[in-house]
Amino acid sequence: MTDALAQIAAWLNLAANALGKPLLAFVGVMPGWLSATLVSAPLGLVLLVVFKYTSNQRAIRRVRDDIKAHLLAIKLFPDSLWVTLCAQGRVLRGALLLLVLAIVPVLVMALPVTLFLGQLGLWYQSRPLRAGEEAVVTMTLNGAGPDWPAVSLAPSPGAQATIGPVRILSRRELCWNLRARENGYHRMEFLVDGQPVEKELAVGEAFMRTSVQRPGWQWPAILLNPAERPFPPASPVRAIQIDYPDRASWTSGTDWWMAYVFAASMVFALCFRSFIKVNL
Amino acid sequence: MAGNPTGKLSRREMLKGSAAVAAAACLGGLSFASGCRHKSGPGRGQARRVIVIGIDGMDPMLAQTMMAAGLLPTFAKLRDQGGFRPLGTSIPPQSPVAWANFINGAGPGSHGIFDFIHRRPEEQCTPFYSAAETVPGKGYWNVGDHRLQLTAWPFNHQPPATLLRRQGVPFWDHLDEAGIESTFYDLPSNYPPSPSKHGRHRCLAGMGVPDMLGSYGTYQVFAEDVISLQEEGGGRRSPLLFDQESATATLIGPENSLLKEPKPTTLELQLHRDREANAAVIEIPGRKILLKTGQWSPWVKLEFTMSAPALVPDKKVGGIARFYLQEAAPNFRLYVSPINIDPSNPAVRISEPGEFVNGISSDLGLFPTAGFQEDHKAFSNRVFTEDEFITQAGSVLDDRLRLLDHALHNYDDGLLFFYFSSTDLQSHMLWWDPKEKHPTRSAAEAAKGFDHIHRLYQKMDSVVGDLVARYGDKATVLVMSDHGFGNFGRQFGLNTWLRQEGYLGPAGCKSIMQDVDWSRTRAYGLGINGLYLNLKGRERDGIVEPAQREELLVELQRKLEAVRDADGRQVIGRVYRADKVYSGSATALAPDLIVGYHRGYRASWATCLGGLTDQVLMDNDSAWSADHCADAAELPGVLFSNRPIQAGAPSLIDMAPSILTRFGLSVPGAMEGKNFFVE
Repeated sequence: MTDALAQIAAWLNLAANALGKPLLAFVGVMPGWLSATLVSAPLGLVLLVVFKYTSNQRAIRRVRDDIKAHLLAIKLFPDSLWVTLCAQGRVLRGALLLLVLAIVPVLVMALPVTLFLGQLGLWYQSRPLRAGEEAVVTMTLNGAGPDWPAVSLAPSPGAQATIGPVRILSRRELCWNLRARENGYHRMEFLVDGQPVEKELAVGEAFMRTSVQRPGWQWPAILLNPAERPFPPASPVRAIQIDYPDRASWTSGTDWWMAYVFAASMVFALCFRSFIKVNL
Repeated sequence: MAGNPTGKLSRREMLKGSAAVAAAACLGGLSFASGCRHKSGPGRGQARRVIVIGIDGMDPMLAQTMMAAGLLPTFAKLRDQGGFRPLGTSIPPQSPVAWANFINGAGPGSHGIFDFIHRRPEEQCTPFYSAAETVPGKGYWNVGDHRLQLTAWPFNHQPPATLLRRQGVPFWDHLDEAGIESTFYDLPSNYPPSPSKHGRHRCLAGMGVPDMLGSYGTYQVFAEDVISLQEEGGGRRSPLLFDQESATATLIGPENSLLKEPKPTTLELQLHRDREANAAVIEIPGRKILLKTGQWSPWVKLEFTMSAPALVPDKKVGGIARFYLQEAAPNFRLYVSPINIDPSNPAVRISEPGEFVNGISSDLGLFPTAGFQEDHKAFSNRVFTEDEFITQAGSVLDDRLRLLDHALHNYDDGLLFFYFSSTDLQSHMLWWDPKEKHPTRSAAEAAKGFDHIHRLYQKMDSVVGDLVARYGDKATVLVMSDHGFGNFGRQFGLNTWLRQEGYLGPAGCKSIMQDVDWSRTRAYGLGINGLYLNLKGRERDGIVEPAQREELLVELQRKLEAVRDADGRQVIGRVYRADKVYSGSATALAPDLIVGYHRGYRASWATCLGGLTDQVLMDNDSAWSADHCADAAELPGVLFSNRPIQAGAPSLIDMAPSILTRFGLSVPGAMEGKNFFVE
């Protein structure tokens, strides 16, 4: 089952990369706040349209009318405790009903939105290394026991290993300290018991698609790290991760980009609402 | 008019002309207004730039010897071009006192700093750091184990605060008032930094800034060969136990002041060793660091969590530290530097304005902020070898040079002050004048250390050389030190001597903090140079009648100046009377006598905090084997200038008046010093 889910996640990533890479290429050539805002507008619009056609609009309209009526009752009969309490209870019930009515659209949108956020995360979650900057690369191995494969990292124009490999015996991990050299996308080439293994490395100043991890054969990790092909189950390597630096920004930085994109897309959705005639 | 053949003034030209006239009028008015404030000395046009380089502890005798040998070409050039003088230091020649003299342009009577350590006479002799004081907060609510402080109205609880104890008016306030910019980097004796009234003064505080533990530098060592937790002056050592070559270390962070009974916060480090690679991986939350044996990490951000009362979010406090893997195997040893205040997000205010340090950090990245950056305590406690200390101190200088680059890059005009600590703290550990025998090191070892100090002077020469090449013709460049240096081979137990001479009792007393009998004590020593009478009406348990004061002071002065070492050398050059050498309104906490030791001598380590030893005179077996807390007359600092110095014997208090007059300002009446650019 998990194998099948991992395979599905890998196929979905192929499609998401094929679409996301060209469609989001503009992120790399403009300021982060602008790209995050530009991304949010169509996202809000698409989410609104999907909501319109996957939700029970008639039921939502009815519930909203009910809520309005009960709010009016609260306003008209402020001296009647019984009427006020009943109306408040019905407003609450109506709000809960609206949440129930949103379940279907949320379920429909969950997967595409996850894939879309996965693509956006490649741009905003971390920043690429700058030339001269250092980072740690960690390779996690499959298997167990005291025997370790022979592992080496080939020299690359993109980065130079200054320390490593250093083994963490208790976790079957190998770490290297890398110093970035030339701007651009580079392939780090490892040999694990003679078997070549690759990992992408991004070096540069601007926004770049930055793949933090090349994942192993676990579907959640594959969904969260869509840029690179996952390691197959039989691979001696479970995952390779680069500790890229965080990006500091209130709109397109590590800690805030997702909140900003959601907030901005909601604002856009509310703006488009009356044109598309959607009951939310 | 070429563009207007009709000869009439177009509307655009009229507007342009009006704007030009208005701008000229504004500028004229401004320069007239500022000119009105300038009373004497050269006009602003002649001295828009003054650069002061403070090289703490640079010794005039060594500088002179090295200049004569052609080893300090820049300083020799400055000497020939402008001037070189020994710069009279403060009484006593201790850095907080000396730099406060520089700041006020007046002696300790104006700023109230007389020693590193002061005492509270109303509590008899409770010691405290003289330059700053932390006062507890006022008002809080008890919530379980926590204290909740609400600073907003209507609660108005007051959080704990650190106060600058230096009194008087710093000279940059006069520049600020006159509209002249001043920028200070790592200025000693100004923590917390004093505020700028007009916003033209910026300062990054230096000596006096604590680390995140509130101390002046507490390193932490994690090692397999430590049996149990050891606290030692300036650091702590913790044991490590490896399982499958991984171990957990607990780093001690700042105290959680939100607790009723404050406890230190902690941060768990995961340590993984690879014997084959002779290296280790250090995992702090969110980050891995790889180090080979003998390698230092860069500055790394650390985040400590202070638990808060329920429903109140926990408080995160950040600091920075460096890691040094001393040995991976067979005995794993990891040194963690004192946790400095993070300059990119400082937990307390260390600059004026507060965001000044953030601006520096956004340019330079992380850099150390603690007042004492060279970890001399790690060397004294034998955590570091001499070579390791030299490496660590070298990286401090590298960080300072990055800061100097930033300072010069951002300097346009006004006053720029930049401070170097290397010549002081490295000299404390490595200086040794070979005319005497070192108490613990062989002649070769001592010479190796002293050679390093020579190289350090040469390095400073080249740093100043670059600066003079860049600014020599555009700015007044002053290079100064607060005091000189001398061997510290023998230590004098002041309290032990007082006990021996019958001024302090009982006979078996070990410390004035613990077992002294104040009813039998007429005088006591505290701090490095201070001697206090146990004066009735001033000290809580005072016994010396004010009428006996004069006689006792004369007697002590005479006897102290007569003390001789076993080989007949005079131990104390001169004993100064505070009432004779200090004047001003801030003398309340001054000692009664200031003991000025001869070169080669200093107060014993025990004396500084009121301790007593078995013997009065002992060898100094500490790695800290050179000092300057002696007789001010013996250890002056240096003054180099690229503009002619006219005064024959300038001193620290003359710096501020001389700088002010370079900017065309008059010398305020509260300053005791004089302009050394005129006779």
